[in-house]
Amino acid sequence: MSGIVRGTVGFNDLKLPGAWTRKIGKDLYEVFIGPQHPGSGHMRIIIRVDGDIIVEAEPDMGYVHRTMEKLSEVRTWIKSIPLFERMAIHDACNVTLPYVRAVEKLLGIEAPERAKYLRVLLCEINRIAAFLYGFGIFGVFLGHSTMYMWPFGDREVWVELAEWLTGARLTHTYPVFGGVRRDVPAGFTDALRKAIRYMRRRLEDYRKIFVDNPVIRSRLEGVGYIPRNLAIELGITGPNLRASGVKYDVRMNHPYEVYDQLDFEIPVFQEGDAYARVLQRVEEIKQSLRILEQVADWLDKHERSPILHDRFWKTAPPLYKKVFQEQGRAKLMAVYAILKVPKGKAYERGETARGEISYYVESDGKNTPYRVRIHSASARNALVYKYILPGHRVMDLPAIYGSIDYFPPEADR
Amino acid sequence: MTGWVEAIIKIIEWPPLWQLVVLGLIAPLAVVIYILWFERKTAARVQRRIGPYHVSPRIAGGLQLLADLIRYSFQEVIIPKTVDKAAFISAPLIALILSILPVVAIPFTDVPKWFPLPMDYSLILALALVTLSPLFIIVAGWASNNKFAIIGGMREAYLIVSYEIIAILSFLAATAMTGTYNLVDIVHAQTGWKWFIVLNPLAFFTAFVGVLLSTSGFPFEIAESEHEVVAGAFTEYSGLMYGINMGAAYLKRMIYSLLLTVVFLGGWYPLKPGEGFIWGYLAPSIVIFIKATILMMIFSFFRAVYGRYRLDQAIEIAWKILFPLTVIAFGLGLLEAYYGII
Amino acid sequence: MPPRPVEKHVHPRGIFSRFKGNLEAIAIGVKYFFDPKRSTLIYPKEYIKLREGYRGFIVLVKNKCISCSSCARICPAAAMKMVKVPVTDPKTGKQRIKKFPVINYNRCIFCGYCVDVCPTEALYHVPYHDIVYESMEEAVTDLESFQKEPEYKTAKEGLPVRYIVDEVKGLVKIRVKKEGGEKK
Ligand code: SF4
Ligand code: SF4
Repeated sequence: MSGIVRGTVGFNDLKLPGAWTRKIGKDLYEVFIGPQHPGSGHMRIIIRVDGDIIVEAEPDMGYVHRTMEKLSEVRTWIKSIPLFERMAIHDACNVTLPYVRAVEKLLGIEAPERAKYLRVLLCEINRIAAFLYGFGIFGVFLGHSTMYMWPFGDREVWVELAEWLTGARLTHTYPVFGGVRRDVPAGFTDALRKAIRYMRRRLEDYRKIFVDNPVIRSRLEGVGYIPRNLAIELGITGPNLRASGVKYDVRMNHPYEVYDQLDFEIPVFQEGDAYARVLQRVEEIKQSLRILEQVADWLDKHERSPILHDRFWKTAPPLYKKVFQEQGRAKLMAVYAILKVPKGKAYERGETARGEISYYVESDGKNTPYRVRIHSASARNALVYKYILPGHRVMDLPAIYGSIDYFPPEADR
Repeated sequence: MTGWVEAIIKIIEWPPLWQLVVLGLIAPLAVVIYILWFERKTAARVQRRIGPYHVSPRIAGGLQLLADLIRYSFQEVIIPKTVDKAAFISAPLIALILSILPVVAIPFTDVPKWFPLPMDYSLILALALVTLSPLFIIVAGWASNNKFAIIGGMREAYLIVSYEIIAILSFLAATAMTGTYNLVDIVHAQTGWKWFIVLNPLAFFTAFVGVLLSTSGFPFEIAESEHEVVAGAFTEYSGLMYGINMGAAYLKRMIYSLLLTVVFLGGWYPLKPGEGFIWGYLAPSIVIFIKATILMMIFSFFRAVYGRYRLDQAIEIAWKILFPLTVIAFGLGLLEAYYGII
Repeated sequence: MPPRPVEKHVHPRGIFSRFKGNLEAIAIGVKYFFDPKRSTLIYPKEYIKLREGYRGFIVLVKNKCISCSSCARICPAAAMKMVKVPVTDPKTGKQRIKKFPVINYNRCIFCGYCVDVCPTEALYHVPYHDIVYESMEEAVTDLESFQKEPEYKTAKEGLPVRYIVDEVKGLVKIRVKKEGGEKK
């Protein structure tokens, strides 16, 4: 067994990628996990097993590729927002926000403060919902059906709030250039506070039934260990990176919107195994709840004020202002449809629930982008399977797959 | 006329028939159907759902399982070209028969007239029969000629080696306590609330976990674990054949529960078998079935609470924790017998 | 205070915590077994009465429309199309061609851009979403059907409910009136 790193012991002396696979040639048994396998997403992992040990793993992505980058080149600027949303519909605000910000950068405008808070509000609601979604999938991968239903049920609370705020359950299309589309409805912050308290209570239940459940701990501890240097080398992002002990979060290192004015922590776990990644997400949900509380306080203290940048809002006719005052709906100006963005290049990044997403946007002054390049978190995290699966048992595959919280549509774009 | 009726009653009362067909097949099937419904309902309650409902809203979806059964029976049974046909078809059927066969060795009364077999070595016989059926799950997996099925079959094989000795040894703790293999005598030794679950809880615990291991109950639902091996050895089965496979596992768990009831939960006590068919045979078996059903419900509840262990962890638990415990339980039984507590 | 990193560690576990973990897990299972706190919607016996502001199906108010085509231009899914209709001008009595939008629900993604961009509020959302078309053709509206609110069959058969956020139960289902506000 020399050269093989077992899932449970001896993970401290890992060497660099490639060092711990071994080939047995003909005796290997090749198993195709996916794309229609109940334990895979829209992807395939080809594993070669020697007995019960995986010796090679090849993630095979691209089953839900939708040519988003190319499609965006033939659409006017604003039409790409609903398009990019389809990468991760339950994380819609987080994945589209950097695009909106990049275009704002090119336009030379910035959203008003209230809009910034509203963006953070929806981003964190989305983040919690996405984490819960990830937990649900993870739970069922480990055969824990209660952990499948509970987070999905509790996610409904956040989806309900998002629907109230934006008018759609998932594809919110909330941030637009220069602001957001709707202001908080009356009574929203009260419901939000209740949801925060409810979620805190539920996290305790999750701890009891899942996180501290001895079966789950046995399944996860020491499994799927990503050493710190491997995580950096592969460019893993998000909770997975932080669970390996790297202090990097876009919200902290390159703060955007109002994140630098909010009081919250970036939890960083040192262990780097699947269990640390679970705890990492639990801690991040707690921090998101903290952010939401502050946002709710801010929103309560401040009166309704325009949520679109002046460049657009000053052209608003009286009807628009009336609708905004009465319904909190910021109507879009006709110019949005035919917006021309000045020549230039912009790069923006944001922290989604699964890690850093970055947009490179280039404009040649027309009403469509010249090029939009997206680098999504899941695409970066997916690489890790090739390097950490070998050496584990076949039954570790769902545990590792779930703990990375990989989301194929986001990776394939 | 009365002659006919008497003859029919005679035939029904004939122990081998009654025991195998009614107590071995029909009653466990009814319990299994109830348990499947209960399992879904329990999981639903814990998971804050409603569970089966729309088929019969008045009785909380109680007919859902019958509906499923009907659907299964009318579904096309697909037999892939690449399988070994004879083995593919016969394996689940043999497994089904073998999983209900042990019922012939379980006494439901202490009136010798109603014994289907002589009871002198019934515990050994029951345990021997109960351990046969998993072999055919391996056969089914192998015959399917599918990678997931073969992996599932292999997992089953791994598990057999680890749970069999635990299950057998913890049941044999009762023999250590009473000095007999006769299940009737074992039940008799439990008169006056001296149930072996009280006298030797350790043995009951290991037997309980052993049963969970052997019948793919959570947290040891490993051989059919959906997210790695689709449906384990049964991946290629469809329609009624799949239903039989799944049913066989539950029937096996039911038989194990009956055995647990007889050995640890005082059998037909507090009832004392009396005279005649009703009080001598029917009533005691109902008591045993009720106890076994409660056990089944506890087994089912774990689905809502646990995930599944990894294969090597399950085997590790079996050998490193349960096996020593079983030996201790056996020793405890011997000690109790030595000091005459029994 | 700006965001800052905080190092955390996984707590090691011993035999005792293993035992405790099992007990806690079973205890919480039993707790929810006896008090499930469920909030399942028994659809279609009940349906959610969505809030005003929900981006549901879209209706055109024809006499408000000024034929500016903004809605068709901004539609990201190309669901909104302008059709030419001959109209008589009420003042001059002259015949002329005017353009009005129609919508193809096969394509629409309910982003609500069209409603938001319309300068005269000639479009509005109805707060319901569960409508089934029997064929692809039915989902393409013409000018007539685009002006009518689509028939909401669920509301005829089911009871309207609404979910409110609760601190203990998460979402709580409450009965509401078919029209207007909440029922006591
Ligand atoms: S809601 Fe969006 S997709 Fe639908 S018609 Fe309006 S703009 Fe087009
Ligand atoms: S945007 Fe409004 S006014 Fe303009 S064409 Fe569309 S519906 Fe008519």
